[in-house]
Amino acid sequence: MPDPKLIIALAGNANVGKSVIFNQLTGLHQHIGNWPGKTVERAEGTLHFKGYTIDVIDLPGIYSLSTYSLEELVSRKYIAVERPDMVINVVDASVLERNLFFTLQLIELGTPMIIALNQMDVARSKGIRIDPEKLEKLLGVPIITTVAVKGIGIFELLSKAVEMIENGEKAKHLEVRYGDEVELRIAEIAKMLKNLQFWYPPRYVAVKLLEGDEEITREIQRMEPRITNAARDLAVEIEQLHGHSCSTVITSERYEIAGCIAREAQELVSPKRPQLEERIHDLTTHKILGYPIMILSLLLIFCFIFAFGNFTSGLLGDLFHSMESLFSNVFGTGIAQELVWGGIIEGLIAGITIALPYIAPFYIILYVLENSGYLSRIAFLMDNAMHKIGLHGKAFIPIMLGFGCNVPACLGCKIMETERERLLAAFVTTLVPCAARTVIILGLVGQFLGIQWALALYMINLLFIVLLGRLAFKILPGEPTALIMEMHAYKVPHMKTVLKQTWFRLAEFIKIALPLIIVGSLVVKIAEVAGLLDPISTAMSPITVMWLGLPAIAGIALMFGVLRKELTLIMLAAFLGTTNFAQVLTPVQMIVFTLVAMFYIPCIATIAALIREFGWKKAMYIAAFEMVFAIGIGGIALRILTPFV
Amino acid sequence: MKEQIDIGSDGMIQNQELPLTALRDGEVGIVVSINPRGESCGRGWGFEKRLMDMGLTPGTEIVVVKSAPFHGPIEIIVRGSRLALGRGMAERIFVVRKKRA
Repeated sequence: MPDPKLIIALAGNANVGKSVIFNQLTGLHQHIGNWPGKTVERAEGTLHFKGYTIDVIDLPGIYSLSTYSLEELVSRKYIAVERPDMVINVVDASVLERNLFFTLQLIELGTPMIIALNQMDVARSKGIRIDPEKLEKLLGVPIITTVAVKGIGIFELLSKAVEMIENGEKAKHLEVRYGDEVELRIAEIAKMLKNLQFWYPPRYVAVKLLEGDEEITREIQRMEPRITNAARDLAVEIEQLHGHSCSTVITSERYEIAGCIAREAQELVSPKRPQLEERIHDLTTHKILGYPIMILSLLLIFCFIFAFGNFTSGLLGDLFHSMESLFSNVFGTGIAQELVWGGIIEGLIAGITIALPYIAPFYIILYVLENSGYLSRIAFLMDNAMHKIGLHGKAFIPIMLGFGCNVPACLGCKIMETERERLLAAFVTTLVPCAARTVIILGLVGQFLGIQWALALYMINLLFIVLLGRLAFKILPGEPTALIMEMHAYKVPHMKTVLKQTWFRLAEFIKIALPLIIVGSLVVKIAEVAGLLDPISTAMSPITVMWLGLPAIAGIALMFGVLRKELTLIMLAAFLGTTNFAQVLTPVQMIVFTLVAMFYIPCIATIAALIREFGWKKAMYIAAFEMVFAIGIGGIALRILTPFV
Repeated sequence: MKEQIDIGSDGMIQNQELPLTALRDGEVGIVVSINPRGESCGRGWGFEKRLMDMGLTPGTEIVVVKSAPFHGPIEIIVRGSRLALGRGMAERIFVVRKKRA
């Protein structure tokens, strides 16, 4: 008989150590994907404990359970509809009041829950002393104190959760009670709701109707419009009594309760020593110094990744290719073998030599930056610049990722608040010159025309990012959002969590990119073996030769580039029979070729990431637009530059 | 920008409602209201509700820590947490300046 199954969900604010607890609990048995039909991440893991198989769901980090963001909607629905056996509410002891605001909402939902009071050490060094027993009594929710990064309290947390599920004991949670004016009206609505079948408890629905919650109002409107109308009138009454909107009144009162509990349970003593953390914060967000520090750190990171990636990628490539002769010795050199090696195995090698040397260190550094808190400071510094393309500071993070590789960048656009901004940010990131495109720019233009031309192309690329970003911002319907972001205290990242996050991201990248790279490279190989390359390049010649002024074979090189952008250069060398491009290409041709290669289409792996996040249609729109745009720009550049040379 | 800073800097007007951006670094304000009306920021994505959820409810004390240069976002401390707010939005948060104790 298989083990009985339990489901535990982790819920809490962002940056409270939720993912550290998740990783401590589940180890390497994790699955990261998206919630069905949503660009919201779903992390799930399993563990075995006391004869149970326990599924742990890591809900997104959120500050409230209203439905203004996809994350909040997904989390609330999950808790109310799927009904996990236990919700572990991870609470940051160093920001107790704000965290309790969320805890109160979980209590209102009536879910079985337990609190992990985490980061007790951070709180202590900030001069905050919390009495967990008092807090437990005030909330009516069992509390386990934890220092997740050191693994303290994790076992107790799990034991307590399982014990509570086993006993089926319903803890007497605190009753969240609002002011009399509000309570009176909640009771009135709850009375009307008594006979309605709905997945949220009646009192909760009543509160949410008064708050004007969109999802719940819509659902109740469908079932019983009488009730929503009544609720609207009652909300107006409260508004008139208090002079603020009803949702403001309820949120304020809820915060008032959270504040009272926090003040009761915690004692503020002056912090032990001047905080190093605060000094680092001041320096890294400094009006003047903040920027050079940021630029320097980013440059260092990219130089390191580039150098490391280049070196290891070469090493791995040599290693794999040295096996080619071994392969042909064993399997011979017929057409089938050529297809297997040249198509499938080359594709595999291509995938691996990107994933391991570039993407892995990239993710490690990204997670170190994120978990330490520096990424939010970068977003703070770049907010203003991002407004120029209609986005806000957080969008700089995927754009920054894009300089390494567009695939994680597209997946990283999840941090934006609305679907519109996610798409906008993803579109912009596909234009960012990734490492592969940088190779082309440096390897062709930089090497043969001089570094100033390479830099100029880079600048042109950035300029187009701004222009096209603005254009997309104007065209896409909907409203822009603005930056509301917590800058949590700097902390030393938990390396085990960082490595695990990297590992699962890498797996995700390989899953998305590798199959397409292999299939793509097989298709191209078949075309080559079947002798289709020449007819194709002839068919493309009106564009490549007449409009872009390139050798006809460049069209084929660009086709290879869809697999991996730097292949455009490698293939160009292969077709032209030399790596000394100065002999076979004019300077203008080099610039035109590079320009087209920079913009013409996201590589196949990026397209796959776009499809996963936004669906086929939008991914194809972006790819088609960039194709047309790149060819257009290339032709225009040719006509502008030719008279000068 | 210049004008906003001058309001109340003479210490005469203390109970006037000011946008949060009018406070100087280190000053403390008490939230009076969040005004969602304006050209660029609207109710569409519920920024008012989001600010409330982050703890900026009427009556709450906000410490303005600093603002980023070139009209950038502002950094505040509210209910013990450090937040960054886009400037356009901060302009719609109305506060009264709290007298120094």
